Amino acid sequence: MDAVILHIEPQSPEPIYRQIGDQIRRLVASGQLTPGTLLPSVREVAGTYAINPMTVSKAYSQLEAEGVLERLRGKGMAVAAQSPAAALPDRWTFIDPALDAVVRQARELELDPEAVLTRLEQKLGRKSP
Amino acid sequence: MTISNTLTSTYALQAQQLSKRYAGRAVLEGVSLEVSPGTILGLIGRNGAGKTTLIRAMLGLIQPDNGEARVFGDPALQLTDATKSRLGYVPQQVDTFGWMTAEQMFAFVGQFYPRWDAGFVAHTLTRWTLPTNVALVKLSPGERQRVALIRALAAQPDLLVLDEPASALDPVARRELLREIATRAAESGTTVLFSTHIVSDLERVASHVAFMHGGRLILHDELDALKERHVRLHIPAATAQQLHTRLPGELSRRHTPGGDLVVVIMRPSQGTPLPLAGHADVRADRLSIEDLFVEVAQ
Repeated sequence: MDAVILHIEPQSPEPIYRQIGDQIRRLVASGQLTPGTLLPSVREVAGTYAINPMTVSKAYSQLEAEGVLERLRGKGMAVAAQSPAAALPDRWTFIDPALDAVVRQARELELDPEAVLTRLEQKLGRKSP
Repeated sequence: MTISNTLTSTYALQAQQLSKRYAGRAVLEGVSLEVSPGTILGLIGRNGAGKTTLIRAMLGLIQPDNGEARVFGDPALQLTDATKSRLGYVPQQVDTFGWMTAEQMFAFVGQFYPRWDAGFVAHTLTRWTLPTNVALVKLSPGERQRVALIRALAAQPDLLVLDEPASALDPVARRELLREIATRAAESGTTVLFSTHIVSDLERVASHVAFMHGGRLILHDELDALKERHVRLHIPAATAQQLHTRLPGELSRRHTPGGDLVVVIMRPSQGTPLPLAGHADVRADRLSIEDLFVEVAQ
């Protein structure tokens, strides 16, 4: 895996170590990173984004503790042979933030919840407009 | 990766109740701050918040009216030569060795530092496009600060103190400086204190952040903890009218022109439930460091 695959936003309210952790979990869950794949070194990730190496270490250690990554002697971090299903996000976690935003905006606009559901069903192709 | 010194009890920098007045105006008001070895502390504040005065008082370059500062355990006003040699300080305005060229200055200064990195000097002078054969006094203030940054980094000090280093650097050179700082802190245990008003620089490399406002230190914590623990609540006017007391952990509050209330709260930890969680009309947003600073530095 190449360090540039990650997308780091230092200005985000999300701490950088969480951004790294979430993205690697997602890449593993979706099969884009397969068991045994080597991760870029802490130095490489930190250098690519001019971020603190401690932050990268923190993310890697957490993923190691969860069993998503394993440390290979002399080689560095790799995707664990068997990633525990519990540590990996299911598909809902990808779409939940967008759904939360819809709920918030619907409230702000004082839209009828039933009408919002109907609109959503139309978009999903379950109901004709 | 090794973090040397972390277990020693001595702080790299320590300020206790520092106060300073200039012409009757309080510039520092009871500032206490401790910086552990290996920390990268970003000091942020608006212009005139007291950042430079705090740095100068912490290093013993000015005498505070009250309080005490220490550098590696030494009283700041009486630093030993041994402690001075561990310190690299780059002020905003550099005015030393003006009659020398950069080349002469580096050759002269380099002999005093046992860990002087001449290769770093040569490499960075080219990268940061600095003339080496012109008297330093003829350089622009930004160029002189860049020369001073190279000098401080080449000596490989245990403690680097940089006052607004970003103002002298273009975006590419700034990124290089940040990378250099972060690598040294992680690999050599270098302690770094840098002041800035550019929040995005601090967010990349700082392990800790301190907010200064009106001569006071209003927040000081790990960068990640600041992001995880602070939440901004947006409370519509109708609900806000029923609120007669401060909320738990409340740091700041302001009213919007429409009468809504905006409150920033600090939770003991990220898992602590939010106040007013039962009110469907109250919106909770997490804050970037910049948003947090703007909210609390009103």
